[in-house]
Amino acid sequence: MTVMALNRQPLQWPALRRTIRRTIRLAVSQALIEQRSFWRSAEYALFTFALPLALLLLIGSTTAKGYLPGTHVEGQMIFVPSIIAFGVIVAAYVNLGAKLATLRHDGVLKRIRTTPLPASAYLSGVLGSTAATTLAITACTTVIGVLAFGAVPRVSGIAELAGGLVLGVVCFGSLGLALSSVARSAESASPIANASYLPVAIMSGIFDPTFSVPGWLSVVVGLLPVRALAQILQQGYTPAEHASLTDLYVLLAWSAAGCAFAAWRFRWN
Amino acid sequence: MIAIEVSGLTMSYGDRRVLDGIDFEVRGGEVFCLLGPNGAGKTTTIEILEGFRQRTGGTVRVLDMDPAAQPARLRERIGIVLQECGFPRQARVAELIDMWRSYYTKPRPLGELLAVVELTADRNAQVRRLSGGQRRRLDLALALAGDPDLIFLDEPTTGFDPESRRRCWAAIENLRALGKTVLLTTHYLDEVERLADRMAILQDGRIQVAGTVRHVARQAGVPTRISFTAPEPLRAGSLRPPACLDVSVSDGIAVCSTASTAIALRELLAWAAENDLGDLDDLSVATPTLEDAYLQLVTGGTR
Repeated sequence: MTVMALNRQPLQWPALRRTIRRTIRLAVSQALIEQRSFWRSAEYALFTFALPLALLLLIGSTTAKGYLPGTHVEGQMIFVPSIIAFGVIVAAYVNLGAKLATLRHDGVLKRIRTTPLPASAYLSGVLGSTAATTLAITACTTVIGVLAFGAVPRVSGIAELAGGLVLGVVCFGSLGLALSSVARSAESASPIANASYLPVAIMSGIFDPTFSVPGWLSVVVGLLPVRALAQILQQGYTPAEHASLTDLYVLLAWSAAGCAFAAWRFRWN
Repeated sequence: MIAIEVSGLTMSYGDRRVLDGIDFEVRGGEVFCLLGPNGAGKTTTIEILEGFRQRTGGTVRVLDMDPAAQPARLRERIGIVLQECGFPRQARVAELIDMWRSYYTKPRPLGELLAVVELTADRNAQVRRLSGGQRRRLDLALALAGDPDLIFLDEPTTGFDPESRRRCWAAIENLRALGKTVLLTTHYLDEVERLADRMAILQDGRIQVAGTVRHVARQAGVPTRISFTAPEPLRAGSLRPPACLDVSVSDGIAVCSTASTAIALRELLAWAAENDLGDLDDLSVATPTLEDAYLQLVTGGTR
């Protein structure tokens, strides 16, 4: 017993490190494969980008420029980051959830499980690819925001912007994973995703910064991750008078809930 | 080398016992067929061997590993073709195989994989445009991507036209030539006769019989059938067949069913010579086919 323990002790760490390195390498290559497949279906890629960008232009051209009523905040400094949040939700929640539901329905996940590819590497790869897509949408939204509406992120707000994006992808990505497990079929995943986030997005004022809801509903919406993400990203554009950590906690809590549910219910077939 | 060793394997789903203590072994480098009617427990057995299902009892060794304890390590060395599973919608043949190769530490070269399954000409084809038979061969290529020692094939040719089956069989025979061990489940008897080195018949959660195809056929106790054109005197009833043999005549054909072919043939030829019948016309010896044996074993010979 003692001899075995002595013999095994020095071996464990390099072996573990090898495993971790291999998992990371596999996750990266899986992310590249997923990206290639995403860009190859041009139609799919186009509309994933088109939706938030079209909304950005539409809202930007109808919402009057200038200060929001009763504040010293310009409208574009709120709706541009709101649309960034919307892009994160579309890419990480709706698309990822629907994509995984389709892969499961087609039996691709089942097939992947027959290989030695660790589940962690596969799912990290898929999430990594989602993060790349999200980043690309965010970049487009930001550039159009600057060029068309003069909404320039503040330099000191980069931390909020970057942190919000990472947390947003993790949170909505894990919720997307959970969603794919809830949907009974590939076809139902998209409608479930849309029905679950659109009402919340409207009530969170994503499409209209002046949208107001009754107090009790505002409390409920405040506990959901959509407004939390939008507000964190808004701080990247304009310093909030009442910056609070609540939004951060809300996002973290939903990330934990999404990950826990996905780990508990994730199915390969 | 023994590739798979199963002894006393039991499996229950709740109260329902689907495997009732089965034993068999698969030797390295052979094609072993697990045959049985639907619901006999074939898929359950395979899933236990692959490490996807926890057994209720008994011991299982696959490539000297316990699949329940080391599924990840085992998966490096086995290839699996499931009964049904799909491909990513956007993939092309060579790309998909390369993706699979990246999952293994020692993959087999792409060109070789394409050649083994005869898909070299379709390497740039979109997966969704492949025919059913081509998809099945792509299945096989993916299962071989990690250069496995042991390959599981769960009903590889179900629902195929004869040409597709033939090509799939050719691919499986290529595997044997490469020295791979193959465990195949099927309910096609011709497939077993064509491919199997050894086989087992699984029914109602038990192995009814196991061994070489010929051994199984013999084990079922189906007699060999010797037939010849009945000579005129035999047809007319003026000559009796040898008393020690069970010979019947119908439509001008004499049929002798026997368990000991050589003795029966000697008796028949001696009888023919004695009675100046010359050579027995159209003399043929039909050893029992696997199908005869299978039906005898599985349905109790209601044929």
